[in-house]
Amino acid sequence: MRWVSWCITVVIHKDRSPRVTDSSLFSVVAGSAEPIYRQLVAQVRRCVAGGQLKAGDELPSVRDLAQSLAVNPMTVSKAYGLLEAEGLVTRRRGLAMVIAEQHRRAQPAADRIDLLRPTLERAAQEVRQLQLPAAQALILFKTILNEQEGD
Amino acid sequence: MSSTRIDTGTPCVSLQGLRVAFGRQTVLDGLDWALPVGQVVGLLGRNGAGKTTLIETLLGLRDADAGRVVLFGQSALALDDDARARIGYVPQRSDLFEWMTADQLLAYFRSFYPRWNTAKVDGLLSRWDIARDKPIAKLSGGQQQRLSIIRALAHEPELLVLDEPVSSLDPAGRRDFLRELVDQVVDLRTTVVFSTHILSDLERVALDVAFLSGGNIALHATLDDLLESSVRLAGAPADVQGFVSEHQLDAITRQGAAGPIIVRRRGAGGVPATTPAVTVEPVTLEDLFMALTE
Repeated sequence: MRWVSWCITVVIHKDRSPRVTDSSLFSVVAGSAEPIYRQLVAQVRRCVAGGQLKAGDELPSVRDLAQSLAVNPMTVSKAYGLLEAEGLVTRRRGLAMVIAEQHRRAQPAADRIDLLRPTLERAAQEVRQLQLPAAQALILFKTILNEQEGD
Repeated sequence: MSSTRIDTGTPCVSLQGLRVAFGRQTVLDGLDWALPVGQVVGLLGRNGAGKTTLIETLLGLRDADAGRVVLFGQSALALDDDARARIGYVPQRSDLFEWMTADQLLAYFRSFYPRWNTAKVDGLLSRWDIARDKPIAKLSGGQQQRLSIIRALAHEPELLVLDEPVSSLDPAGRRDFLRELVDQVVDLRTTVVFSTHILSDLERVALDVAFLSGGNIALHATLDDLLESSVRLAGAPADVQGFVSEHQLDAITRQGAAGPIIVRRRGAGGVPATTPAVTVEPVTLEDLFMALTE
């Protein structure tokens, strides 16, 4: 589960200034069927659901994130626009995007597990195509989860 | 963001009925294409599809047998100096004067342009680690390519045309180049045409992709839309055929005897889901490249 490692780096500034999220929170996989702006949206969605990003945390500026990922700034703007439309972030004075007020803590596990479902559905389809027994696939998934935790 | 340029809505480049043949081999066959101002377009095509011919004709460096190229409202074959100064070009093979040093070369080119960003040139030369006082012939292939890119960016062109600009660069060099391109796009709203085989680079910076095949632009679309509207279908030919007409999908590839086909939905809305008879799978840019440049 690659997203586990996406959600760990957050820079905390002194005192009462807002936490500015480090650009390294984000990553982009090229060669994917998922457009880059959707990858960015999904990463923020997961980190908010998991509570790694909380109300008031600031997202990097469009320019900083575009620079650090080497992607077109329009793509970052598109992702931020979609997050704003979803109510996950709000635009603060000075154009910084911050995580919206209502996201103070992690979502219930039931909601978080829903976010995981599409990824596992894809994996399940591949398991069927490969004609692997379900038990064997589950063992592999468990092993991978444990490997990540050991890191 | 200091942009003094005005978007008048007219395309930066327009090509109409372009035909170029070498002897009996037709390379461009009545090609029509237009690039709106401020777009970043990736030009994709197989080896020998005519990407370089298209780029050279677009820039007025090569005569067409038929058709018209209009750049900034002028015929590409009769550009005035002002229009020329608004174009930056990185050719596939670097055409640098190899006996000169980087400094001499840049000083020479500087004399042709009314605008020249010395700070940018100095910054890039040092960041990209290019020796200023060595003959260009002594620089590595990657360094020569970087120098060619610096030369093309120095006068802050409004139209930047790059023909395989990163073929000699390692992944770190390519990333540096992409970052520079990102900056250029943010600050200057440059129109960029960019041909490359490295799809992963293209995906990061190109909002639009154009596929050159059979002497024509087979498709020009927004990359995000294309990825979201195209799927691969697999199933018995009769089932797939029924699925395609039921959901009003357009075939991008011809259906073989049994193999899967790639289709694109017409208009907005979601793509249909898998049924017991037909499997629907997402596609990548590479899948589309293979399908559209056959």
